[in-house]
Amino acid sequence: MDKILGIVNLESSGVHVEGIEDYRPVSAASFLGRYRVLDFMISNMTNSKINNIQVYIKNRPRSTIDHINGTNYNINTKKGHIQILHGEKSFSSEVYNTDIANFWANREFIENADTPYVVIAPSHFVYVQDFNVLLQSHVESGADITIMYQSVFNAKEAFNNCDTLELGDDKCVKAIEKNRGKYKNRDISLECYCMSRTLLLDLIDKARKTSSLYWLSDIISDNVDELKIQAYQHKGYAACINSLKAYYDANIELSDYYTLKSLINDDWPIFTKTNDTCPTLYKEGAKITGSLVGNGCIIEGEVINSVIGRDCVIKKGAVIKDSVILPSSLINRGAKIENAVIDRYAIVSHIKELRGDKDKPLYVKRRDRI
Amino acid sequence: MKKQKMVAMILAGGRGTRLFDLTKKVAKPAVHFGGKYRIIDFPLSNCANSNISTVGVLVQYESVLLNSYIARDHVWGLDIAGGGVYCLPPREKDTTGFGEYRGTADAITQNLDFLDQEEAEYVLILSGDHIYKMNYDKMLQAHMDSHADATIAVLEVPLKEASRFGIMNCDESDQIVEFEEKPKEPKSNLASMGIYIFNYKTLRKYLKEDEKNSASSHDFGKDIIPTYLKDGLKLQAYRFKGYWKDVGTISSLWEANMDLLSDKDALDLSDPSWKIYTGDNNVIPQVIGPDAEIDTAYITQGCAVNGLVKHSVLFTGSKVDNKAEVYDSVIMNNAVIGEGAKVTRCVVMDNEKVPAGMVLGDKNSKDILLVTKAVINAKKAEEQVNG
Repeated sequence: MDKILGIVNLESSGVHVEGIEDYRPVSAASFLGRYRVLDFMISNMTNSKINNIQVYIKNRPRSTIDHINGTNYNINTKKGHIQILHGEKSFSSEVYNTDIANFWANREFIENADTPYVVIAPSHFVYVQDFNVLLQSHVESGADITIMYQSVFNAKEAFNNCDTLELGDDKCVKAIEKNRGKYKNRDISLECYCMSRTLLLDLIDKARKTSSLYWLSDIISDNVDELKIQAYQHKGYAACINSLKAYYDANIELSDYYTLKSLINDDWPIFTKTNDTCPTLYKEGAKITGSLVGNGCIIEGEVINSVIGRDCVIKKGAVIKDSVILPSSLINRGAKIENAVIDRYAIVSHIKELRGDKDKPLYVKRRDRI
Repeated sequence: MKKQKMVAMILAGGRGTRLFDLTKKVAKPAVHFGGKYRIIDFPLSNCANSNISTVGVLVQYESVLLNSYIARDHVWGLDIAGGGVYCLPPREKDTTGFGEYRGTADAITQNLDFLDQEEAEYVLILSGDHIYKMNYDKMLQAHMDSHADATIAVLEVPLKEASRFGIMNCDESDQIVEFEEKPKEPKSNLASMGIYIFNYKTLRKYLKEDEKNSASSHDFGKDIIPTYLKDGLKLQAYRFKGYWKDVGTISSLWEANMDLLSDKDALDLSDPSWKIYTGDNNVIPQVIGPDAEIDTAYITQGCAVNGLVKHSVLFTGSKVDNKAEVYDSVIMNNAVIGEGAKVTRCVVMDNEKVPAGMVLGDKNSKDILLVTKAVINAKKAEEQVNG
């Protein structure tokens, strides 16, 4: 029997990715030139042999719905399935559309799942983790809930508004607080929870009774004294894509071959939907270094330390540096782009320079013509 | 009105001996091409794009990999109700013992029961080892309009090369009057592409007769088409314009890959209205390292380049390490060009690793070097002798 029901959760309330989120949740945004952000979490689940996966979606769901399909993620779609779920009543209200409201609306599907345990992980985190190892640690510690966390040294700049864990002896969670960027070293919650399915149902009911604004993390935080909450340390690369800068940074960081290979390898592939795009053509005079490139591009210009999405055209004389170009964009002759995020189908021409800042990358809207 | 059904039959049993080690363990249609494809993706994608839903693939030589590959018919969108990709190896039957396909026509004859069962009105015969994009639906329309018994797709080739092909001599309405296999003095430049549409009922009768003829080599070009002509049946030529390549040799396979780099790339794999589908791999996006130098290259996902790549095609998962140099070459799936190694005018076979510093191929050589394990080992031995 399968042990784990996998729940790919909504992005938490603190996620604000300027520009990108006007068109789709960041978890459905193009990532590393080939993926969507949520491919990482779904692949973590299918690679952990979780056959029953629920993906919760909120407003602007077109990209997510179009992208998700069991066969794309190497799941036995007869024995298991990927379910896309949403909260009908709370869907259009940002404030009331908490994860709890979504779970409540779909309570029967959680109740009917045939697994003793559940792993809940939000779609906007990027890391790799075998959830069976998490479950094993959870079972061995005898905890009610196990929260996965990452010890970070950059909590001032990154992981803003994420939960931080205050840990006692034996990695027991004593308190959960928000990261307000005051300290460098913090144990950041990856908002990934392992617990029994019945406890999740209890917590959903409890949270509903407490407040319709409550998130799962709120009700867990309320119960740190009553429940035995254990922390499990994740090691290796982890990013929380909760702002435009975080999105930009993760793209650029992972364009390094060794960082990328530390996440993705033959034993731990990241699955995604194929677009049947042909390979990329680098034409005479192209100059490209330190970059990740999707298929289907035509590159004649210069690209330095950047991520170029599928089907982009970079014309001769264009220079792209430290930037993230989303799929199907056209960068014309002579355009100079630095520290920017260019959204899909944008056309940049007749302009000398588009320059953002590493700490505040410039965003160019979807289908914008500059 | 009942839709007149055309079933495609892809001949994919050939070994392709002139591809040497590339087809030692896989059939020619399964050989990789163009970065991310296999050759058989072309006829299969053409079928899918031409709204043909039932495709039989006649396999014989080293078919294990090919069988499992084509079994994933959803890759080409061919997993629809009433259709699908059928893998058709020779089989033992109630009335005959276990045989083999004795020729292209015999392969179809042995599967007449399949075509009966599919209620085919028309049969489209294709070759599993040609690279081209073609709308078979348009060809069927032309076939129906001309009321021919069979239609053969033809390509205009330069007259001086015509003696390498099966040549169709036609009248002014493109009705075929004569067929000559590799004529010394060609009378026309219309070469057969090995693509035929037959009215099934007539074909069935002729195949049954051919089966009993012990003098026949059971081949479409050598036996069936000449018999059709002799009996005065109407054979129509269908002129195809566009890129078409039979990649039968290492140099033609190399050349077809190099064509993708040309500004005049007539194949145009980037056309969104006629995509070529393939069994996609879950590999990383292509990584271009900090020391990479790339000038005129066709590179696909899963590749990692940190050396120099000039005028070359890199296939899925291949790697060009630091200071390595690749010129005018085809680097096949998961092959690695080690640090400081240099390959020129080579086809490096899948999964081979060119060791650091090794130099292979020559820019002045007329031939293309197929880099196999044996070639690498021989070079290693040579280097040891030379100290």
